[in-house]
Amino acid sequence: MSKYIIRRALESIPVIIGVSILVFLLLRLIPGDPAVAILGERATPENVAAIRERLGLNKPLPEQYVIWIGNLLQGDLGNTVRGNIPIANELRSRFPATIELSLVAITLASVIGVPMGIISAVRRNSVVDTTTMFGALLGVSVPIFVLGLLLIYLFGVQLKLLPFIGRIDSSIELETRTGLFVVDSILTGNWEALQNTISHLILPAVTLFTVPLAIIARITRSSMLEVLNQDYIRTARAKGLGERPVIFSHALRNALLPIITIIGLQLGTLLSGAVLTETIYSWPGIGKWLFDSIIARDYPIVQSVTLVVSLIYVIINYVVDILYALVDPRIRVA
Amino acid sequence: MRRVLTYFSLAMVVLIVAVAPAAAQDTTFRWGAFGNPVQLDPALVTDGISLNVTNQGCEALASFVGSTTEVEPWLAESWTVTEDGLTWTFKLREGITFHDGTPFNAEAVKWNFDRWRLTDHPQHLDEEGQVYEYYEAQFGGFDENSIITDVQATGEYEVVITLSQPIGAFLNNLAMSNFQIASPTAVEAAGAAYGTPEVGYVCTGPFKFVEWVPDVQVVMERYEGYWTEIPGNITRIEYKSIPDSAARFAALQAGEIDGFEQPNVEDIPTIESSDNLYIVYRPSFNTFYLAFNYRIQEFRDPLVRQAISLAINREAIVGAFYNEAAVPANTMNPPTIAIGFNPDVKTPYDPEKAKELLAQAGFPDGLSEVHVLGLDENGNVTDEVVETIPVRLYYMPVVRPYNPDGEGIANAMAADLAAVGINAEATSAGDWSTYLSERSNGNLLGLYQLGWTGDNGDPDNFIGYFFHDVDKPLAREGFYQNAEVAALLQQARALTDPATRDALYKEAEAIHAAGADRVYIAHGPVPLAFSKRVSGWVPSPFGKELYKYVTLG
Repeated sequence: MSKYIIRRALESIPVIIGVSILVFLLLRLIPGDPAVAILGERATPENVAAIRERLGLNKPLPEQYVIWIGNLLQGDLGNTVRGNIPIANELRSRFPATIELSLVAITLASVIGVPMGIISAVRRNSVVDTTTMFGALLGVSVPIFVLGLLLIYLFGVQLKLLPFIGRIDSSIELETRTGLFVVDSILTGNWEALQNTISHLILPAVTLFTVPLAIIARITRSSMLEVLNQDYIRTARAKGLGERPVIFSHALRNALLPIITIIGLQLGTLLSGAVLTETIYSWPGIGKWLFDSIIARDYPIVQSVTLVVSLIYVIINYVVDILYALVDPRIRVA
Repeated sequence: MRRVLTYFSLAMVVLIVAVAPAAAQDTTFRWGAFGNPVQLDPALVTDGISLNVTNQGCEALASFVGSTTEVEPWLAESWTVTEDGLTWTFKLREGITFHDGTPFNAEAVKWNFDRWRLTDHPQHLDEEGQVYEYYEAQFGGFDENSIITDVQATGEYEVVITLSQPIGAFLNNLAMSNFQIASPTAVEAAGAAYGTPEVGYVCTGPFKFVEWVPDVQVVMERYEGYWTEIPGNITRIEYKSIPDSAARFAALQAGEIDGFEQPNVEDIPTIESSDNLYIVYRPSFNTFYLAFNYRIQEFRDPLVRQAISLAINREAIVGAFYNEAAVPANTMNPPTIAIGFNPDVKTPYDPEKAKELLAQAGFPDGLSEVHVLGLDENGNVTDEVVETIPVRLYYMPVVRPYNPDGEGIANAMAADLAAVGINAEATSAGDWSTYLSERSNGNLLGLYQLGWTGDNGDPDNFIGYFFHDVDKPLAREGFYQNAEVAALLQQARALTDPATRDALYKEAEAIHAAGADRVYIAHGPVPLAFSKRVSGWVPSPFGKELYKYVTLG
């Protein structure tokens, strides 16, 4: 098992290096550059050239890449082009916001989606199944911004029950330790902050979890259906086992692989930033930041954030692979 | 499953009931901005959000009067200038301190000017990525290129600034947000971190910096040591980042913010009919235009250009796409500018005349294809046709106060042009950065949209900014060339007498318009939405509104 873990870890390194080169080159392939974006309507070829020089963008590409990677290896993510602000500081405040929202959304989606899928599979073609799967279809079909704005108008403006701007009210003081406000509130015993943070999480998490919920429920259903038709399930039933052990011990464990995969992939997607949800709810995460930075051609931000995100993606895949091996011992050998 | 759902619903209800949003303090002003500031050192930034924040806490030697583009003394009490326009003497106000207690005096002013203009100043820090874009734009560059050649503290409260050539807009420049005076002590202590979220700004204004949480808010508090009376009652400002326009409107309706800029045109009637909200219009200080790329052979003919100008129904476009306070444009300089607006220039809508002119120009059947001319090694347009292409009308991919809907307006323009026989295709050139890049390199081969919002109230920063150097064809301006216009603008730039300058700018506009050198479409005022608890707002043409005038009920 430990050999498998080490092998998978080593395999991740080329992926990260590949991503760094790809992002670096792709950014420079698209037209427009930070100098143009800074200058806006004032962009004249002379102004652009002067700023390019000051930002070091006129150096040869390999040199720029080496400078970036060299700094990175020393733990320096660089400064933003617009504003010259250290990226590490910015990332430190934004990344926990995205992680917190993603974890809440994926947890809700899994806790609700997996049982939904199991029930649908077990009671195939029943009213429960049809209703659940229709709900799931709706979940993937309703555009995020429509759902988000509906929730804001209903719970925020009309009923005035839930806040919809940011992570916490500015009147509440919270000592941050991890940057995850729920965790920080509990660690510091600040119950007012905990309540406030959770209230801020509800609408964005509900908006964000609909798509993963629908996907997880559908994958669980189809994976379970496939397993339930296998001979060994029939054998188990023939042996006189009760429905509960058949479903949970025999069927579910074998159906888990695709479910784990999809939960891992969905979490990875959420962590790379939910641009729309973050925008609608003024959520200070990395999705909106990355999006704005691409528009502004702020190369250092896009490069560093993409690298960090792909690192996280690789780690999640790594954890999923290890979970595979735990769930299905045959994989370790293969 | 049913149990899970029941528990979940119960948990939601308990949470929802437990957490009604708390009411904020009465004298806290909460503004909904459409984004995060870039940086809070006004010398280094150009974006409206950053400058909107620093304007509340930082001040310059001069200031704009109320809702106008006129300049009045501010941190300087008065000034005199020698007859040649080269030596300015500023008498500073006494008894002012920066937020960190550093005294404001002639040394502090000199220190700031030296920091902006001298690349070897210890706090210029251009090697570390600090870009003083506006200093360069307004004063010609740094070191020996700077039009400001010397700044001396000639007394504790007297500063003498020497110029290498007169600048007509010198005082307007000094009133710009980018030339607000910072505490030298604070900048020296922070180095390149000055203006970042950790440090913020340290100036002399009515509100001092407290905190900036990126993408959340900037918090400012009333500065008790402010040198003059604060007319309004705000004690705290929360400048919130709410990127989605529908969410900003919802936040205003829910009472989470007190005001925001540029509500959607379709939300304005709701706001105006609401009991709790109202709209204020910022006087428009911008111009939206359609430019010709002069590498298109047909566009070099004034008859074709005039036909296009006559074919476009500006009134209809303004009525359909802009808010009720917008007006059609005839000239580059807007009517709100202090000098240089020419009311005699008229650009009527007359499709029949347009057809006549097209026929006269040799296109009785209209125009569907155009010819692209080549460029020589010096960037001059040659007579050789290198390509035949459809008539393209490039539209802006972003919303600006001067252009609320690039694609929609392009389609409306294309329909107007089709009515006189010109078949133009509304064309995208990619995202904003790409669009700007293509425009500045002269690659938008056809008609293209763009606009301008003035920075300092002076025509040199309006028509002068674009055309003072078109004595040669410039890729940036679609290879437009008009030596007569350029000469007038250069002459006006270096004069200080407003009446003489006014006449020169009017003449330049008239010549520019006679050939329909460019098609001006609209001036779009920016609407601002407020809660009725806000009063005393003084709108500014540049968006330089000061919250010190605001009273919260």
